[in-house]
Amino acid sequence: MIPRFLLGLFLALVMVFTGTSTYLFISSRQSRIAVAPLKPTAVAPTPHAFVLPGTLYLEQSGALYSLIAGRFHQLTPEEGWTQPSLFPDMKDMLAVKRSGFYSNVFVLNRFGHALGALTNNAAGKYSYDTGDNHWAFYPRLSLNEATVFLSYDSPKFGYEVDLSIWQMPYNGSIRQGRIWTDINDATGYTGGDVEPIPVPSGILFTKYVRQPDGSIFSQLWFTNSAGSYGRPLTGANEACADPSMSPDFHYVAMVCSYTKQLAYLVIAPWYGSSLGPRSVIISNQFVAQPIWAPDSSGIAFLAPTAPDGPFQLWFLPSQAYFPPAPSPVPTPTPLPGGPVAPSPSPSPAPPPPVIKPIQLTTDLGFDASSPLAWAP
Amino acid sequence: VPLGSTPGRRARASRRRLSPIRSIVLTAVAITLSVVAGGLSYFLPAAYTAVQATGQVVSPFPSLSPTPLATNSPTPPAPAQVGAFTILLLGSDDDSKFQGDHVLTQSMILVRIVPSTHSVTMLSIPRDLWAPLATGGSGKMDWAYSYGGPGAAMASVAQDFGVHIDGYIWVGLLGLIRLIDAIGGIDIVTTNPVLDDYYPLDINTNSPYGYARIAVLGGPQHLDGTHALQYVRSRHNDIQSDFGRSRRQQQVLLAIRQKAKQLTAADLPALAAAIGGELKTSISLSRVAELLPLASSFDNPDAIHQIVLASPYTRGGAPSGSLYGNWGLILPLVHQYFP
Repeated sequence: MIPRFLLGLFLALVMVFTGTSTYLFISSRQSRIAVAPLKPTAVAPTPHAFVLPGTLYLEQSGALYSLIAGRFHQLTPEEGWTQPSLFPDMKDMLAVKRSGFYSNVFVLNRFGHALGALTNNAAGKYSYDTGDNHWAFYPRLSLNEATVFLSYDSPKFGYEVDLSIWQMPYNGSIRQGRIWTDINDATGYTGGDVEPIPVPSGILFTKYVRQPDGSIFSQLWFTNSAGSYGRPLTGANEACADPSMSPDFHYVAMVCSYTKQLAYLVIAPWYGSSLGPRSVIISNQFVAQPIWAPDSSGIAFLAPTAPDGPFQLWFLPSQAYFPPAPSPVPTPTPLPGGPVAPSPSPSPAPPPPVIKPIQLTTDLGFDASSPLAWAP
Repeated sequence: VPLGSTPGRRARASRRRLSPIRSIVLTAVAITLSVVAGGLSYFLPAAYTAVQATGQVVSPFPSLSPTPLATNSPTPPAPAQVGAFTILLLGSDDDSKFQGDHVLTQSMILVRIVPSTHSVTMLSIPRDLWAPLATGGSGKMDWAYSYGGPGAAMASVAQDFGVHIDGYIWVGLLGLIRLIDAIGGIDIVTTNPVLDDYYPLDINTNSPYGYARIAVLGGPQHLDGTHALQYVRSRHNDIQSDFGRSRRQQQVLLAIRQKAKQLTAADLPALAAAIGGELKTSISLSRVAELLPLASSFDNPDAIHQIVLASPYTRGGAPSGSLYGNWGLILPLVHQYFP
């Protein structure tokens, strides 16, 4: 027999415990889709994890980070910094600082310290027209480091605000700049031309082109002189963007959507002013911003952890798209003064191992509209 | 009987004690009750919000039955599809520029879902389409809601397009932002950079007539609620204006559906708390519960039809900068997908 008082006390405790546990259990069954990404610096490097060569620069939440030997370092505060690109000599870098109504191009050293601004795109102090501000995106330095190529929203025609590729002197201002890509009525109101990549023979860039049915798709284009119209390198149906040139200028990596909600990683040989046949090397992920490793060991890119979510950092080793040549079949060598040595019995070559992308981060959230930069 | 004790005291002592069997039964009942209480306390706020948002009564309008503007459709109507239903999605500015529920529906998308074939059709109705309104007279389609609420919007679409509408879902601007944030953002290939020098600065502000500059860059990316709204709402730098925006709206709807497949029942309270007051529907709560599991079964991209009534279905020149509909083309198209 159990005293009623003790039983009541026991039941009260049981009910509090069970009710609370039930509540906590159900709440623990929530999906993780709305969990905010961690800061890269909050993630400790995992022992024996795959480590990328050199230093990779990325952006998350308006801050630039470097990834060296598996560890992230925050270079700038979360103040709208994005789109880092290294100088050809790798000493410094260009980056965009984005404010509410405008963005400017800055020179930063590789530790994230701002050395100066190259543009001044804020409207005048007494301007009340938001259209007096300007955007500058995707800055790239020419190979001789004398010229900056960038996407700049000028000229504007009323509501038409399209980005054009501009060239400006590194030691000058945008007023001394020249427009490279031609905006006219046929291609206006599309968003324009973005992502310039200087190559020895001109520039490669992404152009948004309106199709006859009114839809807009991206194409890679090439031009070799300021003010020229240029010519397309990829078809409208391929809908390619985010180009990245290999360090030896022999290949281009890009992201193609084929006009769907897809983002495949595609590479193609670069012939100086044209592209060769395309090879889809990742077709089961939502890929953005591929970049070639400076030592040609692979391609890093951003993609969500399947099926979707914030973008993480991935790496695809070069063996996945440049499989090693098969080892030569041994040939019989005649013995001096004797019979021919028997040929080894031919055995079928084993299938090459499938090389899959390596996921390097899991709980971060990199900005997939910001190209990556990678120094040796 | 020991000295000093009496049968009465023993009986009272016995009544203060319970047998083990009764104790076990009581414990089991207590555990069951507390489990139910724990579950109720978790889901009750969501259930309250859901009850508030669903089953909205639609004020009847005389023209709710479909009487299309033209009836000589050259396309024969398709056979009735089992379980198919049609919903009118309405999206509105609901900032302080507007009083109460007298808002314009900047987005009107007719959605037909056929569970038996796992197909979805989305038809964006131009908000500037000049057509007879159920409230009387003619006007832009987005005026109907402002004049007579969701009932007028449904009745106007039903009578002009000759379709039967089973219900509506209305969401405000803030609701869309909160919904997308509550599901952790969406992954999308933005069709092109969307730049707008005069984007309305009317959310979370005391001065809803200001402008902002926006730049949503192109390509595959992860968008939070604010940037997703910018992507679907901006129309100034789109030569197709409302039609370009309609395409983007359909694209974001599909991305939301894709992301929502990862939700679990335990996510409902957070979701309800996020969008509470910014979403309402005439669909009953029980019907919503029936429909939710269907969402994950629509995976075939070829079974998702997206329709925008650009030229030649519409043309300019109507009053107040609106559009005339080419009903001879619109109605056969609508009857093909909304039999």
